[in-house]
Amino acid sequence: MRRVVYWSLFVASFKMFVRNRAALFFSLFVPLLIMLIFGVLNFGGGTTVSLGLVDQAQTAGSRALVSALEANRAFVLHPGNRDAELAQLKDGHRDLVLVIPAGYQLGPPGPGTPALVAYTNAARPEQAQVGGLLLDAGVGQLLAGGGGSGSGAPLVVLQKLAGRNLGYIDFLVPGMLGLTVMQLGLFSVAFGFVQLKRTGALRRLFATPTSPAYFLGAQVTSRLLIGLAQVLILLGVGLWFGLQLVGNVLLLLAISVLGSVIFLALGFAIAGWAKNEDQAAPVANLVSLPMTFLSGVFFSRDAMPDVLRTVTDFLPLTYLNDALRRVTNDGVGVTAIGGDLLGLAAWAVIAFIIAVRLFRWE
Amino acid sequence: MTDWLTAEAVRRPADSAAPIVVVNDIRKRYGSLQAVDGVSFEIAPGEVFGILGPNGAGKTTTLEMMEGMRPIDSGSALVDGIDVSRDPRGVKARIGIQLQASSFFDELNLVELLVLFGHLYGRRVDAMALLADVELTEKARSQVRTLSGGQKQRFSIAAALVNEPRVLFLDEPTTGLDPQARRHLWGLVRQIRERGHTVILTTHYMEEAEELCDRVAIMDAGRIVALDTPVGLIDALLGRGFTKERVERLANLEDVFIDLTGHTLRED
Repeated sequence: MRRVVYWSLFVASFKMFVRNRAALFFSLFVPLLIMLIFGVLNFGGGTTVSLGLVDQAQTAGSRALVSALEANRAFVLHPGNRDAELAQLKDGHRDLVLVIPAGYQLGPPGPGTPALVAYTNAARPEQAQVGGLLLDAGVGQLLAGGGGSGSGAPLVVLQKLAGRNLGYIDFLVPGMLGLTVMQLGLFSVAFGFVQLKRTGALRRLFATPTSPAYFLGAQVTSRLLIGLAQVLILLGVGLWFGLQLVGNVLLLLAISVLGSVIFLALGFAIAGWAKNEDQAAPVANLVSLPMTFLSGVFFSRDAMPDVLRTVTDFLPLTYLNDALRRVTNDGVGVTAIGGDLLGLAAWAVIAFIIAVRLFRWE
Repeated sequence: MTDWLTAEAVRRPADSAAPIVVVNDIRKRYGSLQAVDGVSFEIAPGEVFGILGPNGAGKTTTLEMMEGMRPIDSGSALVDGIDVSRDPRGVKARIGIQLQASSFFDELNLVELLVLFGHLYGRRVDAMALLADVELTEKARSQVRTLSGGQKQRFSIAAALVNEPRVLFLDEPTTGLDPQARRHLWGLVRQIRERGHTVILTTHYMEEAEELCDRVAIMDAGRIVALDTPVGLIDALLGRGFTKERVERLANLEDVFIDLTGHTLRED
């Protein structure tokens, strides 16, 4: 009996979603459209050069060089140690990695002054070339201002390394996965459920001996299933667009489920609190819009001001996107994204508490 | 849905049997408003029992307390021998409820909805037979929102019958319907009664109560002010020396309306 009740409600919930054109439009068609537009426009082909910076010298001269590079807006700097930055380069996250060797003095290379070495990503020749020229010019300018140089030797020695060329599609697809997981959880529940509440369909359901928990369970699980289907469809379309999927798809699905739990709970919180769709809409948008633009869906958060980036580090969609992106792009396992998963788990608990507090059947 | 055997099993002689509904001094307060203020009555199996009263008299609240849809502040209600306060789900399993302004899931068609509601009672229903009972066979694959007002109410009654309820609750089933649809629904209620279901209904329409109900309770301000058969209530009024200023004719304006526009249902 119980299984029949649950299964029946699950099938009904599923049918209700699939037959609702508005729900399908927003949860499936819109993400695909966004992917198509952004994918075709290839917004990622930007003009900045991603530069890993390894300062092994830590001298006045090396610091002067670092601050000169920081002032150059063509570079997005990623300070770090040599091995980590070179790994990032190989994974396609850096165009160049500049290593300032120990004992470096600000001056032309010569005896006692080791040369600057820049490793370039062979898979991204354009960015590497532009970056190399910019580096050379930048160092030259610094030396000219500081007393000049004479020899015609290159100031920066370029070394090609084999790396991956991550395109914008590789950045976009994981972000879109996160975005759709959020939208599905928040909007399909906030609107669908509030409608059932407002029209009295929910009340009619509770005129039967069925426990409300079955309906809640059926709604949640049907949404989870739909969310997983969405993730697979978006991944498929992404692959068609040239996505380099190196991670474990099952892990991506598991992360998506964890993310769904958060946003479904928030959706139920909004649906439980709101009396009608007009109340639910602004709140759902208030939750989703900032994250859409601040959690690294379309654009990398690297370019953000530090304060904003630090704050938005803690948003649930940021954890979700970071985890999905690391798995998709770098093929990492659970341990590498442990921090993100912990963040997601914490948000799941928070969202659940909010939902329990705010939820009302009537 | 209900063949003759089960119909006979459900039906009991109205006079001899123990009451199927016993309401004893139930009360409900919303803030400062005493919505229901000590209501008591008993209903015999197979009876059609009407609750009349102006808006805000406490009809719907009384119904909802009996249905297990709303907690009872004090007093008790027994439906088919089950205490509503102790076991609201047990009561819900034995009754059928048509809510005022019933609403269903928009994306499902009538057959799917009836099958789903059957499952909620742990029953396998013959949806087409149920729809045939309420003359909605041709709408089987339609969604509720495409139905006319009268069709919606009939579907709502079909949904309330999926569990072959001992008691059927109808909350203002004909409000908002045109005279043809209303009369059609009266016919349906009579059929349901013929099958032996006990029916409790609320209404604003006196002629409806007179047509359908074996007994009526008239409520005002949360209390029952009169309870008897329609004829008994009228006789009592006449007995108090009441006379109408205008002599009642043998037909009224609704009879004229029906005579001119016919009994045929207008669903479009």
